[in-house]
Parts: sequence; structure tokens; C-alpha cells
Amino acid sequence: MSTADTPTGTLDELPKSIEETLKTLDIQFNEIRFSVKSDVISTGTFGEEWFVLTDAAIFTVTGKGEVIHYIPYQSVFGIRAEMVVDAGLLVLETQEGTVDLIRYSNGCAAKFGFVARFIGDEIAFRDGERDEPPLWDYKIEEHSCKTCGLPLVDEYSPCPACTKKHRVMLRIVSYMKPYKGRAIIFILFVIIGTLISLIPPYFFRILVDDILLLNEANIQAPDGETTWLGAIFRAIRPAAMALSIATGALLATHLISTLFIVLQSRLSAWLTLRIAANIREHVYEHLHNLSIRFFDKRTTGTVISHITEDSERLQDFMLEGLSFLGRELFVIFGIGVLLFMMDWQLAFFVLIPIPVIVVGGGWFWRKVRSLWHRAWRRRSKLFDVVNDSVSGIRVVRAFGQQVSEVNRFDVANVDTRDYETKAEMIWATYYPPLMLAVNLGSLIVWYVGGLDVLGDSMTLGTLIAFNAYLTMFYGPLRYISPLINWASRSMTAAERLFEVIDSQPEQYDDGNLKAMPNILGEVKFHNMTFGYDSHKPVLRDINLHVKPGEMIGLVGHSGAGKSTLINLICRFYTPDSGNLEIDGEDIKQINLKDLRRQIGVVLQEPYLFSGTIAENIAYANPDATMEEIITAAKAANAHEFIIKFPDGYDAEVGERGGSLSGGERQRISIARAILHNPRILILDEATSSVDVETEKKIQQAIDRLVQNRTTFAIAHRLSTLRNADRLFVIEKGRGVECGSHAELMEKKGIYYKLVETQREAANVRAEAQIVER
Amino acid sequence: MQNKNSEEHKIPAESTESPENSNFIPRYLDASQLTFTRSPVGTAQLEISDEVCHLRVIVRRLMPLSNPDKYISLAADEDAEIGILKNPTDLAPESLKILNDELDKRYFTPTIKKIFRVKEQFGIHEWEVQTERGRVTFMVRGLNQNIKQVPPARLFVTDVRGNRYDIPDYRELDAKSFHQIQRHL
Repeated sequence: MSTADTPTGTLDELPKSIEETLKTLDIQFNEIRFSVKSDVISTGTFGEEWFVLTDAAIFTVTGKGEVIHYIPYQSVFGIRAEMVVDAGLLVLETQEGTVDLIRYSNGCAAKFGFVARFIGDEIAFRDGERDEPPLWDYKIEEHSCKTCGLPLVDEYSPCPACTKKHRVMLRIVSYMKPYKGRAIIFILFVIIGTLISLIPPYFFRILVDDILLLNEANIQAPDGETTWLGAIFRAIRPAAMALSIATGALLATHLISTLFIVLQSRLSAWLTLRIAANIREHVYEHLHNLSIRFFDKRTTGTVISHITEDSERLQDFMLEGLSFLGRELFVIFGIGVLLFMMDWQLAFFVLIPIPVIVVGGGWFWRKVRSLWHRAWRRRSKLFDVVNDSVSGIRVVRAFGQQVSEVNRFDVANVDTRDYETKAEMIWATYYPPLMLAVNLGSLIVWYVGGLDVLGDSMTLGTLIAFNAYLTMFYGPLRYISPLINWASRSMTAAERLFEVIDSQPEQYDDGNLKAMPNILGEVKFHNMTFGYDSHKPVLRDINLHVKPGEMIGLVGHSGAGKSTLINLICRFYTPDSGNLEIDGEDIKQINLKDLRRQIGVVLQEPYLFSGTIAENIAYANPDATMEEIITAAKAANAHEFIIKFPDGYDAEVGERGGSLSGGERQRISIARAILHNPRILILDEATSSVDVETEKKIQQAIDRLVQNRTTFAIAHRLSTLRNADRLFVIEKGRGVECGSHAELMEKKGIYYKLVETQREAANVRAEAQIVER
Repeated sequence: MQNKNSEEHKIPAESTESPENSNFIPRYLDASQLTFTRSPVGTAQLEISDEVCHLRVIVRRLMPLSNPDKYISLAADEDAEIGILKNPTDLAPESLKILNDELDKRYFTPTIKKIFRVKEQFGIHEWEVQTERGRVTFMVRGLNQNIKQVPPARLFVTDVRGNRYDIPDYRELDAKSFHQIQRHL
């Protein structure tokens, strides 16, 4: 047995103490080949247990070094990693019987899956069932940030911890670069607008102190306690004149302020919508270049919500929240300073309700938000119930279950009602007291300030101005807490968007990749192994040499790995070990654009995009002439039904080709493939789910299509593969038989059995049809 | 495999069904006929009196969520069901112990008894909990996708490593634990 190429300790390093303990035992071994740590002990609790492979035996050892199992390697003839519910079990077949060797949680499944594969291959090599010893090609599946160790979704994702929130903000700002000039003007407008909004209360003071009260023979206002502007107004006589000038000035201030708000809002809309659209475009463009694996790890819904919801959330916030937040923060700060300048003692009293407003407000908004969120989830559940029973209305009627459906709705409805009531009640109960706290502030000012006015240490005008500023000051404070929440959620949305942008795309035009503008179509698999999770191989040790222009039928039970093989030819994924060559060139080294341009697919469920028939046929070659499109349609037996449509080739196919039948969609997709003119053609169950007549038409079309192309065809109905040069039979991920139909029938192996079963099934169907008639 | 050899299948005496039909009718096993034993290497074995001895038995719950203690399916192989045991408590105590140990092996999902804290950082929530399998800390990404609620109040939490944790009824958690998760529901 070859042990040379097994690096020791590359999985988990066995603690020296355990190694020493093992050595003291009366067991013969020279070296530990590798050891793996499990996180579950044999009694089923979390803990530490070790799997150890030495040159002569397999051990399991507790964290304290007590040996649980000791099994001579020679006596092992099978090993498998069994998946149980939320955990795994390494099971050995030995001469003593089956041994449940070691337990582990899902988190260790990758490691133990690899161990089972490696040892299984090694045993197969030992017993002469395999030509070469297995390679030690363990890859770490858990992805974590290299800087901080935080777990990541996949190798393509950036680390959320290392992309700080303020960095996100800076990145958003960086999208403003092309509009630098307008952005600066916008900021200026915000500042000027805010400053102008501070003016009116100042005029209140002059109005009261220097105009209205002065008229009454100057009873109150002490001399000298006025501003320079106040002094000017005092000089103007008669007082009515001063009054009209002052109100006129107030009007002018309001007009200018309104003008600035208009300008600023327009600019803000212009800027933020552009930034949001640019981010959206960037994300979308990037999405189309990402590896298929990125989409495996995320549901379509998640990806769609990235582009729609997240960017919408970000846009909403930027449009309304951002300028609001900026302006209000500026106002709070500006007025705060002003209040202290006017009367610092009184300003202290103003601060009293602030903790109540901020803390209470924070608590209130959190509470309300979580309740609303829960109510919202109940509501969406309610919609699910409606959707469910309305979509299945025929079934409901057929089984007479109207009452139970209504009851089901009622339960959800009452639940929704209760949660919404709760949320509204909380709002109704706590919002008014919160406002009270705000009003309390102005009460304090009236009282304390009033005392000052009575005691002549403050003018009435100052008090009124003070109160006016106060309202402006408390107003935004009420909303600051939800605003900050809003901001942080939008930043999270932005983060998710940037996560997509930062994910690594497929390498299309890497200069090192080999350009292959003219592929001949020779495809060669050599000892190729692949799994979507590398510890669960879907395909194992595939060997197949396909000559240019040959048609290969892929045969096997569903789940055997046929579609996976095709995914690899398209290079949606790369093999875990072994290799896949096209025209003698490793597929990883081929320029992706060149490769994909010369591969064509016809799928079981052909995907048509909304648009006309002509557009769909010309999908891969938008520059195709009308003649080319017709030729392709003709060859695909599609022309005959297209001309029957009132709109002919201009007929809209509807959403996902909804207005066409399955057979029609299929023929259009074949026409698309013919026009694409690929060197390597993939037919994935192209003739399933259509009637016999249509199948014949499609079969004819396919026969025309496959000529002179290397073709891989999957079909459940084996009769459709009769034109294949060779059939490649896959069983549980391994290539088990390969040869022509006649050869395989003669062999009486798996293919023979499949054909026989289908024949029987066909007979049963035929009989059933006769009985029905 | 060698266990195949020892499974000499005798047609059960009480069964009058033809062999074809027996595949379509569930077979309920009589607990008094069943004896679970362990092989010298610790494998669970099942002996059905007067019939057969299975050298490795696979146990599965038919209703792992709603009724985990009843309706246990016993199988000799992944695809070869022997029969269904309706009520395991009818077994002899030693047999019941082995059956329960095997069920525990197959259904790992730890049950969360107590939640010490849930801390969020960068969209990843770190949970520190007490389960019947010991105290653990695990990380959960994006709570919405990784907490699955089974009505009315059962929760399944999946962590970043693919491990799943069970909260059979979150309303029955102690107040402090409940407080840790309620805002995420």
C-alpha cells in the first residue's frame, strides 16, 4: 500500500499528549498518517473525539486519549460517511462486521466525507479495483475571512467585518464623483437653506422687543439690551413703518428659504437617483459575470431582492432620509449653539427632556418597529394562505374543503389582527406621552424664562424667539432615533449590494487563457471527480474520450450525474480532481468566451425570453439576417407552425414563452441552437413531455442539428438515443458502461436492464390505453 | 456484504398475503417479538423471534417532529424496511435502551434549552446556548433565511457550518432566553 503521498496532519493536528498515550499502548505502529477531530463524542454530546489513521490501523480516541475503537487497516473492506439527521456517522465494514466508528456534526461532514472517499479509494486500490492510489486533494470548504476569521458565504464573498460601515458610506459618496460640481452646490444649498431657516425667530424677537413693546412708551425693554439690527428698527418711526418693514423682511426670508428648499430638493433627487441607478447598473452587470456557484448558494429570490429591494431601500434613504438627516443634524447643532448664546442658563433647562426624548424615543421606535415587523410577517402569511387556496381552488372544491379553508384563513386572519392591534395600541399608548415630554420642555422654558422676564433679566422677545427655536430644536429630535435606524438598515442594504460587486467574477478574458476561436470538438475526461460540495462527489473517476463530431448518449437513473457532467462541459463548474480537456487543452485554460460561444444547449424546459419569435431564435446571434433565421426555423421544423401565427415571426412569445406549447418552445430553442452553430452540442432531455407526433418532429430537427457536431444527449426515453454513436452509462456517479446500443445489449449489463424495464413499462402503458378504449 | 447471507428470509407465519401484495401493505411489528442487541463491536442488531436476525438495523422516525416517540420504522438497509414499530415503550427495557440510543445517533439535532445571549455583528449572529448535548456557541448568518418557523412556535436555527438546532416551543423558554430571540421573530 502506498503511504508516501499522504501528508500527515493536514486535516487536524493530533495533540502530542494523545499521540504519546497511543505510543504507550501495546499497539504496533510507526507513524500517524493523519488524524481528524470530531466535535461530537460517542455518547452524543458535544466534545472532542479523534479519528486516527496510522500505517497499520484505524483508531478512535477520546480527547483524554482513551482508545474507543482499534481496527487493523487490513481488516477494513468498506468505509462510508453516512448522513443522518443533522449529523454524520463514519461507518466501517470490517471482517468483524459493521462498525459505527465515530459521530460528528454537520460542521465536520466535509472533513469526514473526504476521509471516507480517500480511504475508500485506497482500499479499492489495495484490492486491485482501482488503477492508481488516490490523490490527497483535500480542499477546505469552510470559507472564512483571512483577516478576522469571520465565516463567509463562499470564497467569492468579501468579509462584512472588514468592510466597515463608514467605508460603505465613502463608497456611496464615491459614486458622486462624476457629479462633483452639483454635489458641492447641493451641500452649499443645504447649509445656506438651514442658516436662512434660523432667521425668522430672530425677527420675532425684534418684532416684540424693538417694535411692539417699544410702542407702549418704552415700559419694558431695557436700553442697551438689543442687537444692532434691533437698534436700527428702534430708530425707525412711526412704529407701524418698522412693523411693515420687519414683516416684509420676514416674508422675504420665508420666500428665499422656500426657494432654497425647492432647489435643494430638486438637486437631491437628481443626484441620488443617478447614484442609485449607477449602483444598480453596476450590480446587475456584475451579476452576469459571476460564477454559477454564486447562484447555487443563493436562491433566485435573494439575488432578485439584491437588485430590486436593496437598491430601492438604499435609494429611498438617499432620496429622503439622507438630506433630511443631514439637514436636521445641522439644525439641531446650529440651534443648540444659538440657544446657549442667547441664554445659557435657560438652555440648560431645555436639555432636561432630551434624555427622555432620545432614550424613550429609541425604546419606543424599537418596540414599534419590531411589532410592525411581526405584524407584517403575519400579514404575508395571511396572503400565503389566500394564494394557496385560491391557486388550488379546484382541489378545494373537488374535496369539498371550503369550510376548512375558510377556517385556515380565519386563524391567520385573527392572528394578523391581533398583532396589528398590538402594534397600533403600543403606538396609540406611547406616542402621545412622548409628545408630552417634548411639550414639557417648552413648559419649563415658559416658566423659568417667564420668571426671568418678570424679573427683568430677560426681554419678552428673547423668550418668544427662544421658544420658537425650541420647537425647531425638539422637532427633529423626535425622529432622530428612527432615522438612525433607517440609516443603518440602508447601510446594510448597501453592504449587500457591494457584496455582489465585490464577489469575484468568472475569469473571461484573463490574458493567460488560451484563445480557441475554432474548436474541433474533441472532449476527453481523465479520472475526473466532481461534487457540488467536494466532500459529496457526484461524479467519480470519469474516463471518456469523445472524438470530434461523435454523438454520445448519456444514460443512467435520475440523479446518477448526467446533468452534472454537462454542467462541467459548459464549465459552469471545474472538476475537483482529474481533468477535462477540449481539443487536448485543459478546460480551465480555455478562454471562456471562446468556449461558450461554441457550445450550444437545448434544455428540457427551453427558456424563452419575452420578445418575438425571431428575437428568440437570434438570441445568440442578434446580427443574424432574416434568411438565416428562417433557415434555422425550417431546419428545426418550427417554420411550419410559426407561419400559422397571425404575427408570424413577429409573434410575441409571452412571458417565458407562455403562449406557446411545450413542443413549439422546444423547436424554437432548437432553431436557436442551429443558428448558434455550436461545435459542441448539448441536448438535455430535449424530447421529454411532448406527444408522439411532436416528438417525431423534434427528433427530425435534432437529427439535422447534431450532424458534424460533438453531441452529448441525455434522454429518459432510450429510443431517442438510437442515433448516438456510443452510449455512456453512469451509475451512482461512475461511468460503468460505454459502447454502441448493440454492444451494450449484448453485454446484458445495466443498459440492458434499463432498456428492458422501459420496454415493459411501454407495454403496460400500451395495454392500459387499449383497456381505456 | 456479509449480513445479507444471514438474513434468511422466512415468510412470516401470520402473514397470509402473497409476496407481491406484502410490499403495499405496511407491516406493523409486534414489540414482544423484537429483541435489540449489540454486536461485540457495538452495532445494533434486531432479532425477530422465530424469523430472522438483522445484523445491522437502521431506525427512523416516521414523524420526527410531531410524534418522535411513536411510529418507528426499522430497516435492514437504507431501502429495505423490515416493518414499523408503533409503540417502542412496549419493548423490553434493554431493547428500548438500544433503540433509543440508535434514534439518538440518527437524530442529532440538538434542542436548545437556554439561550445565554445572541450577539449581532455584521449580519452574523453569535448564539451561546445550552442544549441537551452540551453548551455551544455557533454563528448564524441572516436570521431571516436561517430561522425556520414550524407553526405554531417551533424554531429551527441553522448555523454557518450547516448544523441545525431545535427550539420545540419558543414560548416555553425562560424569560431571559425568550427575550434574546423574540425581537428576531
